[in-house]
Amino acid sequence: MRYRALSDVRVVDLTHFIAGPYATKLLADMGADVIKVEPVWGEGGRKLRPHRAGVVAERGGLFAFLNLNKIGVTLNLKHDRGRELLAGLLDGADLLIENFAPGTLAALGLAPDELIAKFPKLSVVSISNFGQDGPERDGKLNDLVLFARGGWTFPVGERDREPLTPPGSLAQYVAALYGAIAAMQALAARDLGLGHGQHIDVSILEATVATMIYETVTFQYTGIVRSRAGKRFAVGPFLIVTLKCKDGYAGLHCVTDKQFEGLCDLMGRRELASDPRFNTALNRMLNNDALLEIVEAFFIGRERKWLYREGQRRAIPLVPIPSVAEVLEWEQTRARNYFETIDDPVLGRIRVPGTPLRLTSHRPEASRPAPRLGEHNREIFGQRLGLSETEIETLKRAGTI
Amino acid sequence: MNSIFDGKLRVLDISMGWAGPLVGQMFAEMGADVIKVEDTHHFDWWRGSLSMAPPEMQPIERASVFNTANRGKRGVTLDLASARGIEILKRLIEVSDILVENFSPGVMDRLGLGYQSVSAINPRLIMISMPSFGSDGPECNARGYGNTVEAMAGVTGLTGYHDGAGQRYTLSNALGDPVGGLNGVFALMVALRERERTGLGQLIELAQVEALIPFVTEAIVDFQFTGKVPAARGNRHREHAPHGIYRCAGDDNWIALACETDDQWRSLARALEIDDKRFANASARKANEDALDAELSRAIAPLNGEDCVARLRDAGVIAAPVNPASAVIADPQIQSREYFVAIDRAVVGTHLYPGAVARIPDTPLRADTPAPLLGEHNRQVFAETLGMTDDEISELERIGVIGSSPRQYRVAQ
Repeated sequence: MRYRALSDVRVVDLTHFIAGPYATKLLADMGADVIKVEPVWGEGGRKLRPHRAGVVAERGGLFAFLNLNKIGVTLNLKHDRGRELLAGLLDGADLLIENFAPGTLAALGLAPDELIAKFPKLSVVSISNFGQDGPERDGKLNDLVLFARGGWTFPVGERDREPLTPPGSLAQYVAALYGAIAAMQALAARDLGLGHGQHIDVSILEATVATMIYETVTFQYTGIVRSRAGKRFAVGPFLIVTLKCKDGYAGLHCVTDKQFEGLCDLMGRRELASDPRFNTALNRMLNNDALLEIVEAFFIGRERKWLYREGQRRAIPLVPIPSVAEVLEWEQTRARNYFETIDDPVLGRIRVPGTPLRLTSHRPEASRPAPRLGEHNREIFGQRLGLSETEIETLKRAGTI
Repeated sequence: MNSIFDGKLRVLDISMGWAGPLVGQMFAEMGADVIKVEDTHHFDWWRGSLSMAPPEMQPIERASVFNTANRGKRGVTLDLASARGIEILKRLIEVSDILVENFSPGVMDRLGLGYQSVSAINPRLIMISMPSFGSDGPECNARGYGNTVEAMAGVTGLTGYHDGAGQRYTLSNALGDPVGGLNGVFALMVALRERERTGLGQLIELAQVEALIPFVTEAIVDFQFTGKVPAARGNRHREHAPHGIYRCAGDDNWIALACETDDQWRSLARALEIDDKRFANASARKANEDALDAELSRAIAPLNGEDCVARLRDAGVIAAPVNPASAVIADPQIQSREYFVAIDRAVVGTHLYPGAVARIPDTPLRADTPAPLLGEHNRQVFAETLGMTDDEISELERIGVIGSSPRQYRVAQ
């Protein structure tokens, strides 16, 4: 889905893979004019999984999602003419967003500070693994190692096993959000009085650590470093746990006295609420294992749907744990028309998450599919930068576009 | 210009917990005047919550999470069950730019603070509502918190050991909360920019679960391409091996490492003196991954974690310790960039808090102002912002519409 709230904002997008493209997607979904500039061989994110069987890899399914609503051109930035054309795009642009390794732009003769000096209205947002400075600026990183280093992994999993990493690339998306917010912050600062753009530095590692406030601050207050508690979030004065039930798993978040009374009622065991082992939050912590055993024995014989309905009826935050297939079919997302069916020119029809931001100032429009490699070269270089048909052909033959 | 907003933007934050308060906190980082409104009966539940600590350690004003998520705000109290309290809140709404709320659907309407009512008071107001599952739809009244939002977004269903017989796990950070907050900040920045053009505020609705689902798009599309629900892969990677977490010497010390190329593997094998033909190339390593993990576990178990990570990094392998909280703060890269900031907060003293993520040179974000005590700024806000006299404020105190001591003590919620 696409709104037109940012239709006056022009973005030159040099990003690749996930963190950068999701940041520029957030802007594009709000209506910004995002020109995605790829190398002539295509950015690495085109190769990301998943792939549709039998489709040659011009793009995978994640690329098709992350690049919705963008305009696509190609440029070889190692060619003088390529950099000249990039400068043409930057002239009048509000934002350049990039997630190359630090120093890459400078090595191409496109140092952010020099670009801002040349185009004073322009801000550059750089998203990188470790930030633009520091002793490990140029170190290697992937999701597994990022989660481990940033503190997400240590408290998850079985006590007697190795810590369990979170799935997928979750933290890349968190960093993307910080990047998109930073882009808006640069525009706000410029337009509210500063008058010129800035170079903003977002570290993916720091974005990862930013979400760990349970750990990093709490441990300083209490001296307690949380370790793994198995299916439980932690052993505390609560029961936050994923429980096996008859047809899968359910998630229970039982914290307050009221929620605990509701849970006892759900289990038909109202006497437990006044049981001296469980009658206060402290006792529920001290006897957490015994409590878990009782709750586990109850859940194993019930179905998720029943637990969800009956739990929520008693105001307990209790949910079925859905598979991604079930998320797609969830009544709630259906009723709210959350998923959007896109007609991708290469991959065909796919249902993808819609924008979570529901602005009431505009009616959302259908998304434009992710661009083919160089799809808008003619439009952008011809119409916007005024190149002739012959010039465009010459650039193509030279491998500049 | 010292900050983006230089006090010229006012945010009224009547939210609780993490997702909503994070929005206000990030606007405080930008130099907005953020007023956090709490009820002395039902103050922000996080004010009395020290997650994972026993209840006797949880008196009000000693909550690490509250003190993090509410930095930089001015704190006032208002009895929202009283007509006088609502009336004063409306006066604050009249002079604010943004209103942040994350009550259950319908609560704002019952308080007479639905968008129609507040926009009638202040048409420039931008209001954001952040319900867990949405403000409409058949399940909009379901109770959701960070962890249950995470489950309904499909994240929990993907979180398990590769050989874990189906058991699923909750993430360590209630990810749905900060992700909801970050989306809220972005949405408000968009709406503020639009208001510059149109002069009009608007209502933004943000269902927290919808903010998190995009993070698992890979799995959602994979299912549509293959017809199969992607399995939980634990610490393993679909293609690369090794890709895992291994115990090293000491108590509960672990390192994470991954090889994405044969070159990286050869360096790793040399560094750990592993010579085994079963692991010669990528497909062989993947096919023999159990044996590979066993061999690595054996080789790494006696090593000091720090030394081992240093040795592996020198060899070009992607590696890091699996950091507990204490080690995250001490991480050399994070320290060198001075990411954490020290704050002296009343009652609890000085601690390090996560700083602002975006480094904005000319209008830097400030994350080093402490969270307010309950009702700490009652006099300041009601006198300076609303122009009340001392007598009026004292009268409000006397009749209990405002106050600075809790009227009800609730534990950990």
